[in-house]
Amino acid sequence: MPFLHLSFYSTFTMSCLGLAFHRTHLISALLCLESMMLSMYIALSTWPVENQATSSTTIPLLMLAFSACEAGTGLAMLVASSRTHGSDHLHNLNLLQC
Amino acid sequence: MEISLLLNTSMLLTLLIILTPILMPLMTMTPCPPTSITHYVKTAFLTSLIPTTLFMYSGVESITSNWEWKFIQNFKIPISLKMDLYSTTFLSIALFVTWSILQFALWYMASEPHITKFFSYLLTFLAMMLLLTSANNMFLLFIGWEGVGIMSFLLIGWWYARAEANTAALQAILYNRIGDIGLILSLAWLASTLNTWEIQQTIHHTQTPTLPLLGLILAATGKSAQFGLHPWLPAAMEGPTPVSALLHSSTMVVAGIFLLIRTHPMLANNQTALTLCLCLGALSTLFAATCALTQNDIKKIIAFSTSSQLGLMMVTIGLNLPQLAFLHISTHAFFKAMLFLCSGSIIHNLNGEQDIRKMGGLQNTLPITTTCLTIGNLALMGTPFLAGFYSKDLIIENLNTSYLNSWALLTTLLATSFTATYSLRLTIMVQTGSTRSPSISPINENNPTILNPIIRLAIGSVMAGLIISSLITPSKTPPMTMPFTTKMAAILVTAMGAILALELSNMTRTLTTPKQNPYSNFSVSLGYFNPLIHRLSSTNLLNSGQKIATQLIDLSWYKKIGPEGLANLQQTSSKMSTSIHKGLIKSYLSTFALTILIIMATL
Repeated sequence: MPFLHLSFYSTFTMSCLGLAFHRTHLISALLCLESMMLSMYIALSTWPVENQATSSTTIPLLMLAFSACEAGTGLAMLVASSRTHGSDHLHNLNLLQC
Repeated sequence: MEISLLLNTSMLLTLLIILTPILMPLMTMTPCPPTSITHYVKTAFLTSLIPTTLFMYSGVESITSNWEWKFIQNFKIPISLKMDLYSTTFLSIALFVTWSILQFALWYMASEPHITKFFSYLLTFLAMMLLLTSANNMFLLFIGWEGVGIMSFLLIGWWYARAEANTAALQAILYNRIGDIGLILSLAWLASTLNTWEIQQTIHHTQTPTLPLLGLILAATGKSAQFGLHPWLPAAMEGPTPVSALLHSSTMVVAGIFLLIRTHPMLANNQTALTLCLCLGALSTLFAATCALTQNDIKKIIAFSTSSQLGLMMVTIGLNLPQLAFLHISTHAFFKAMLFLCSGSIIHNLNGEQDIRKMGGLQNTLPITTTCLTIGNLALMGTPFLAGFYSKDLIIENLNTSYLNSWALLTTLLATSFTATYSLRLTIMVQTGSTRSPSISPINENNPTILNPIIRLAIGSVMAGLIISSLITPSKTPPMTMPFTTKMAAILVTAMGAILALELSNMTRTLTTPKQNPYSNFSVSLGYFNPLIHRLSSTNLLNSGQKIATQLIDLSWYKKIGPEGLANLQQTSSKMSTSIHKGLIKSYLSTFALTILIIMATL
């Protein structure tokens, strides 16, 4: 596999694992989401260059816009959880109501 | 025709005379006094001489069938009594010995408040024993067998306030029961395979299967105290001396050998069973003779002597000579009963002393008793032309001239020499030397109630061998030619044993203290058999029973396989999945690792 492909593939994997297994703070999960988005951006950017399909060059920008919205939503939830639970510790978030 | 009628009538009359003192008090509600019971038995003995002389004169045998118990369709059990050589001869001898013992018991148990009950117990025992010997089918024999076992229990534990007596009675019952298992096994095999319990119908032309014979040999081992089931016989000396004389020397303990004599046609063609009898008998006789060498209780010496002679009878069965075994039973009854009666007289006169180390010099104070004791010991040793010689010497001659296991031969010869040793030791320590008993006991044997039975049995000990062996036609020819040493073998080993005893008795006169060595320890502690087997076997049985009950049944069915096992299984799986079910977002997010797994898989 070419080195570039390996790099964003491994970045995506590591970030996804970082999203799945994490320690204390919600913000670290959001950070992993951002890095997932970053690796996907680089992948989407290099794909039309390699395949010479110029009409797909605008797709990374669309993805960037949506990820910005998503980051904003995430930060809003972080603020909401710190207002209700007092901090953004992940182990406070519980589906059970007792 | 008239002879057989007379035979049957007199035999049944004898049995009726025996039963009368037991049945009459039940009907008239007045107890029968002991002296009249003795007279009943004397009358029965005199009546029993009629069938015996008839048999010896004309050889007439008969089978009487009375009522028939229709058990199921084709399996009938008649109450049939067989009168042949064994039955008629044993009847007379048993009644003679019982008459003497009952007369002796009038003096021995004179101070006993329940003497009537004692005599009725002895009489019930006698009736059961006679039922056993005259039975023609195994069912009746089994009834007699169980009856003598029960009466033995009641009589050994006569002084039931004594803990050792109760233990000994229980021991007798337990060991006899193990033998009874063998007998019931044979009965079941006979009923299921041959569909009969009549002894005449059990003869096979080819080799008899070994299983029922093993059952019969086990029964004989239990009842006749062969090695392995022997401890109850020395322990049975806890009973009164008349009980020891009647049951455990002449009559009950020979029931096992008698069973083998009766079922001899089954044994005759199975060489395995015969060899087993031979080796078992040889082992028993040597073991009992070894234990008797260092005993100090006079009754225990005589008990071990009985056990040794029973082993000798078993050896004779193993040689395929039932008639000779029966001859030995008959002659043995006389001198063994007399030995017990003499010892009873000595014990009572010394005010309850049973230890021979505390007796001595009784030849001067109890002349007749000690003379008869000497005669009995000489007869036991096989002194030529006394009663024991006719049976014992013949057995040793047959042993020497047959094709058999030489180890059995050597042990039997060794046991014969030991017999001489302990008999002579008994004689020397009881009768000769200086008096070691306290001098206050009033020693007196002027009572004819003691003397007449002992003298009667002494005459029997001297003459019975000659009379019986000359009046019975032998079924097998005895060996006529053998080398001189073989012919003299029995006397030679007896003389060696006697010389050994005389040499050992010097130690008591010169006051040398004996050193402990492994052999004397083995003999004194009866071969370590009692503590080993009594503890080990019951511990193992109870332990395994406990293990089966708690660990096999309770643990496995309730805990592992049943309810608790199921609960354990559920618990394990629910423990594993409880961490996911807590409702934490954190663990739900960890499912994203599945995405990574799929990505990896598509590479």
